Amino acid sequence: MIGFFCKYAPVEVFEAMGVEIGRIEPKVTNFNQADTLMHPNICSFVKAVLEDVMVQDYEGIVLTTCCDSVRRLYDVLKDRFPEKFIYLLDVPRKVTDFAVSLYGERLEQMVAAYEEYSGRTLDRAKLAEILKRKEEGEKLKTAPREKGTLRVGLMGARCSAEVKNLLEDHHVDVAFDLTCTGVRRHYRVNPQSLMPSYAEELLNQIPCMRMTKAVNRENYIEGFLDQIDGILYHTVKFCDNYSYEYTRLHQELDKPLLLVETDATMQCAGQIRTRVEAFLESLKMAEGDAENRGRKKRSEDGKMYVLGIDSGSTSTNAVIMNEKREMLAFAVVRTGAKSGDSANRILQEVLDKAGLQKEDLDLIVSTGYGRVSIPFADENVTEISCHGKGAHYFNPSVRTILDIGGQDSKAIQLNEKGEVTDFVMNDKCAAGTGRFLEMMARTLEIDIAELGPISLEWTEDIDISSMCSVFAESEVISLIAQNKEKCDIAHGIHKAIAGKACSLLKRVGLHETFMMTGGVAKNPGVVRAVEDVLHTKLYLCEEPEIVGATGAALFALETLEK
Amino acid sequence: MADLVKKYCSYIKRTMEKGDSKKARNLILAGLKEEDIRIRFAADKRMPKAYRELSRIAINSTRKGMARPDSYAWTNIFAPVEILECFGLNCVSIECIASFLSGFFLEDYCIDYAENHGIAPTLCSYHKSFVGGVDAGIIPTPKFAVTTSMICDGNINTFHYLSRKHAIEHYIIDVPDEYSEGAVAYVVSQLEEMIGMLEELCGKKFDVCELRRILHRENQSKELLREFVRIQKDRCFPSTLTLNMYLLFATHLQIGSPEVLKFFQHLVEEAKGYPVYEGKKLFWVHLFPYYQETLQQYFNYGKQYCIQAGDMNLDYMEPLDINRPLEALAKKMLLNLYNGPFERKVEGISKLVDEIGSDAVINFCHWGCKQSSGGVMLLKEEMKKKDIPMLILDGDAMDRRNSHDGQIKTRLEAFLELLDAEGENV
Repeated sequence: MIGFFCKYAPVEVFEAMGVEIGRIEPKVTNFNQADTLMHPNICSFVKAVLEDVMVQDYEGIVLTTCCDSVRRLYDVLKDRFPEKFIYLLDVPRKVTDFAVSLYGERLEQMVAAYEEYSGRTLDRAKLAEILKRKEEGEKLKTAPREKGTLRVGLMGARCSAEVKNLLEDHHVDVAFDLTCTGVRRHYRVNPQSLMPSYAEELLNQIPCMRMTKAVNRENYIEGFLDQIDGILYHTVKFCDNYSYEYTRLHQELDKPLLLVETDATMQCAGQIRTRVEAFLESLKMAEGDAENRGRKKRSEDGKMYVLGIDSGSTSTNAVIMNEKREMLAFAVVRTGAKSGDSANRILQEVLDKAGLQKEDLDLIVSTGYGRVSIPFADENVTEISCHGKGAHYFNPSVRTILDIGGQDSKAIQLNEKGEVTDFVMNDKCAAGTGRFLEMMARTLEIDIAELGPISLEWTEDIDISSMCSVFAESEVISLIAQNKEKCDIAHGIHKAIAGKACSLLKRVGLHETFMMTGGVAKNPGVVRAVEDVLHTKLYLCEEPEIVGATGAALFALETLEK
Repeated sequence: MADLVKKYCSYIKRTMEKGDSKKARNLILAGLKEEDIRIRFAADKRMPKAYRELSRIAINSTRKGMARPDSYAWTNIFAPVEILECFGLNCVSIECIASFLSGFFLEDYCIDYAENHGIAPTLCSYHKSFVGGVDAGIIPTPKFAVTTSMICDGNINTFHYLSRKHAIEHYIIDVPDEYSEGAVAYVVSQLEEMIGMLEELCGKKFDVCELRRILHRENQSKELLREFVRIQKDRCFPSTLTLNMYLLFATHLQIGSPEVLKFFQHLVEEAKGYPVYEGKKLFWVHLFPYYQETLQQYFNYGKQYCIQAGDMNLDYMEPLDINRPLEALAKKMLLNLYNGPFERKVEGISKLVDEIGSDAVINFCHWGCKQSSGGVMLLKEEMKKKDIPMLILDGDAMDRRNSHDGQIKTRLEAFLELLDAEGENV
């Protein structure tokens, strides 16, 4: 099979030669080979393709000059696989007469190169026939929108099948797909000048961000704005071209916009799920669409008990509430290697504390990364929505939440009703999370619980300049070598976390009252550092780790009350 | 002195943070003026005279550009500045302006500004810092902006984004990856279109004779540069990381101007007078992290180790055909060392290393630069075949936060130890 991935690739030429050609959908878990053969800072998708080509048996790969990373991928593949058909097609970025004729020429050159490589010949009549057939097929594809379903636009860099499947699973209608995989083949070619007109049709697709007329993308979506509920904007780590468009849309577009970044590995699935589901939940809330969640039971005397359980990467937290929204008990346990096990442990603990039996619970709602792995939960809601609801419960004046957990950090914007209006999460990077602090405490050889208190005793103001946890660690080591005081280094580390947190907050907007949640909120050094950057006090609740679980319990009550 | 500079720079940053970008810009301009005076009257004694001239060209073209926005143009490093010079436009590349921002210790402020608005943190720091600098109001918007699509991905989008946001007249030249007659015609057609735009914008007819004069000076300058490189085979002209970056003003942005021709004449005359160099000679690939302490310590006016040349300044050395000036400029872009497959760059560097007898190669992988980092292993393999030691350093040429001294120091010193040991074995 010939592999390809760019929407400007002339797939039909290979089909006309009777060659199997398929879109490369890499399924990889690491970049071990790509990091060695190329460099770690190359577009993740490109690295994933390299890993894929190393293990799959492709006859050849047809690449385009779409970006710097792909151009280098070509160089590396050409070097590693001299016996394969590795071809780089030079695609113009403009659509002028000169550009069309140049691309037509390039296509002819590619055909000649493949004919020579494979011994096959291109039947041009067949190509014309295939193009005509695709044109006819395209006309039939018009599915009406189901009533009440959400409708979103999909934009950004190459979108993996997981994201699309996720939308399908949630019955979300995709109004348009402007990512690299959203190809719509509209070919009206002139059989008399087949290659030039085919070249022109290829170039005339809705432009991607490498094209000089990328602004046409915005004109295109304008026509859809009154039909969609929001836009899902997908970017790939180290693919920077789309961030410009995102920045512009973020500033100008009056529609909910979710940025999801993936790195093309399988491990992203959980992260994508949380973000996309939270986004869909917030869109539904905006639509006032009260989805009828399945009710379990309701006691005849009007008494209700619900359990909210938040399965995070470092801790699992649970809250039991009654119908008066009174918290009867809560518990916090460390999450082990298996989130299901800690869930069972905490269930027993919190039931004991409340003096209840499992049968007394009317509904159990789970949240957090491990929310789908909790066997006894009736429903699950993302931790974003739960944090919003929980924060509102503790203090209705909260508008901005900073949640720093073990694995990730998020900034969440709320309206006066406690509904999530916007949120951002940090990327797949340990800097600015609880893990980072644990790592730093280890390097300083102190207990994680001591890190906060000692940092408050600082005297010398040290800056940890590096934003990357790996670099920061070596920076801390050199500070230790310079005999700096531990309290000063700890203070520097907390300032670095606060800086990172603050830029996350700025992306959703700084609106008082601020609340900090998650395990890191228990570290007084970080709290103080964040307050210093924001020039305001943070609101903290007594147990900052149970805000998500509280939100989940509130969701359960709302469901029962419906 | 260094303390005073730092204090001045942190005052500029505080001014920015208060939102007074106009005052901050004026402070930058005053700082550049000050630096020009310092070079004239109190330059480092080790700095050769020709390089004082070069420093002044670099500082003053940037300063004048930013002070008189109505006669300056933003370009990238590969843009056909020769055409803009015909219209009296002072070309300053966005990378160079960004570098100067870093010189004033403002890169972190500008980069954070851009990232906080959504620009990708993994983007090249020059582009991030430039976008942040413009959006924050430190960098004035120009009369015209032009970039090429070749070599670096960031260009098209940075220019598009800023031009739309700040209503700047701009033109993008799409340079195909592959050289062919059709490609030349395509590029020439765009140059003609851009000239039409400039005629209208500047209210001035394009004078092809002026362009020929500029190209003629450019050919003379490049001939002198070739001679300078030949001299570097045995002698090492004292230089610094910063001066190697400043050289880009002479080889790219201001090329074809009478001042640059004069500079190259002085450079060759002066270089001939230096004694034969006994230390280790290194060839540098890609950008120079001018601020990096350890690298400064070893390579600025280095006695034991010197950087003979960098590939960025030698990316196109062929004479231009003055009779067909637009075709010549199109060819210059299409056949640039970095355009097309990486193989060309590997061959080009390999040839240069042979010509000037370099003892070793250092490739600096700048944060966010995929085109250069992505092929670095191919270059390393080629150097291995030639038995030329090569060191790959990861870091950032302008954002201090992305280069860690401890890591660079260990790698560099181990590499230099290896080179010294090799010398002893021979």
